[in-house]
Amino acid sequence: MLMESTPEMEPAFAALVRRRAAARALPPYSARSTEFVIDALTRFFATERPGSSVGDIRRMGGGASKEQFLFTLTGADGNAAKYVLRMDPRAAITETDRRREYEVLNLVQGVIPAPKPVWLDADGTHFEQPAVIMEFVGGVTKPSDSSLKVSGLGTFLGDRLRGELRGQFLDHLVALHGIDWKAADLPSFVAPTGDPRQAALWSLNYWVEMWHLDKCEDRPIFSLTTQWLYDNLPECDDPVLTHGDYRTGNYLFDETGGKITAVLDWELARIGDRHEDLGWYLMQLFGFFENGTFRAGDLYGREEFIAAYEAASGRTVNRTTLHYYDVMASWKCYIITAANGLAAARNQHNHQDVLLTFLACAAPLFADDMCRLLSKDMSQ
Amino acid sequence: MIPDTDERLASVVRALTDVVLPALPPEAGLAMEQVQLSIGQLQILRGQLDSILSYEADELADAVALGGELRGLAGDDAARALDDALVGAKTAATPAEIRGARKAIHAAIDVVVTTLSRRPYADRRRLQAAIIAAERRRVLKDRRWYAPFGFDIAPPTEA
Repeated sequence: MLMESTPEMEPAFAALVRRRAAARALPPYSARSTEFVIDALTRFFATERPGSSVGDIRRMGGGASKEQFLFTLTGADGNAAKYVLRMDPRAAITETDRRREYEVLNLVQGVIPAPKPVWLDADGTHFEQPAVIMEFVGGVTKPSDSSLKVSGLGTFLGDRLRGELRGQFLDHLVALHGIDWKAADLPSFVAPTGDPRQAALWSLNYWVEMWHLDKCEDRPIFSLTTQWLYDNLPECDDPVLTHGDYRTGNYLFDETGGKITAVLDWELARIGDRHEDLGWYLMQLFGFFENGTFRAGDLYGREEFIAAYEAASGRTVNRTTLHYYDVMASWKCYIITAANGLAAARNQHNHQDVLLTFLACAAPLFADDMCRLLSKDMSQ
Repeated sequence: MIPDTDERLASVVRALTDVVLPALPPEAGLAMEQVQLSIGQLQILRGQLDSILSYEADELADAVALGGELRGLAGDDAARALDDALVGAKTAATPAEIRGARKAIHAAIDVVVTTLSRRPYADRRRLQAAIIAAERRRVLKDRRWYAPFGFDIAPPTEA
């Protein structure tokens, strides 16, 4: 059940909670057909780019969140370019705001490789659901050699790609955290500057609300972890622009040249604690153990990454704060898989319900991680 | 039971695998992915079919055990909610009743945890230790149960 009054959080996230709650009563959602998308794009560009034509439309694979279509737009002058239409289903495994995604993608242009957003339909006026259209960027999110795929949630890169990508991965994160957000044009973003614990509290409150909206059953370790997170809110001395989902799998790279071509999935970006990005990236379940050695995102060992981040950013990693966000990362993943994804499928509000119920079967791993992390806390 | 449940599911899997999947055009990527996931889900379900009821009964038994352990550490209101849930579990017989009883106990435990900060420090530590210990045992069973989905890099072996 949703709390009677939304607790303290960033206003845009409170709006997402309200949107999610309101959408529960809506009828089932169906995957958008190519015909629907052709029609919607043609009507949209008749106004936006008179004389242009839309072609070569195809649905893009991958991802568990948005409906994405690749298409070519040919202008009246005959010049053609590829774009990606990225649309919300009625409910997804995460509830996010296309306007914020558009704003942050615009902001990072020239700083971090990322798709350039070109058009925004924030309220679904043109595409029935909120949507953003961005320039297409080539690349892959995982090696195309399927023999490299091993079981688990993470992506296995292998020695060559690891060597080529890891420095870039770190540099882009450091560049992101170094952005002067106070001087940036981010009208939908509000910074947690009221209290040193506000950065953690806003994030925590948002996810608690999402849990209460969508949960089907309590779980004791989840209840305990929620209470632990409220009891141990860390102070944030230096808020930064965070990505929110910065990990291997969320960037495109050129497989031959070993270059990151675009950092993707900016929809959870917020102004918050840098440790939130670090804890998320370092989550064990997104990484691999090889011969007993852990590599986060198959790029860095944990201590190796912390040392490299400190050296490159000039910022200190506070181990107590990082532990807090380690716990929060697994706790959030439990909400995403065991509550949000399942509810979207249960309500038939997504275009790939069967994928969401499949992913929900990873939830016990996050429960396991909460046990492991809180056990550390108990032993101290 | 003729035909039995596994035979019926097996025929659905074969239809999806041998008829539906090959008939999809190459551009129907979303449909292909969803058929493949459906086949995978059904195959895993076939393997679990005979164990589902006992698995859910075991989940309830674990919830009852933890609820009983926490009973003495709960505040008055939370203890009453926990008592009600534990009493309800005694008469749970059908799969729906078993699931309902487990959910009620977990909801009552949530209330116990939410009121944790009002308890003496020693009680809090004991309660945390009890939940972590119980969930470590429970989560091992869950990881084994969901191991066929392939997310677990090192799924625990049978106890």
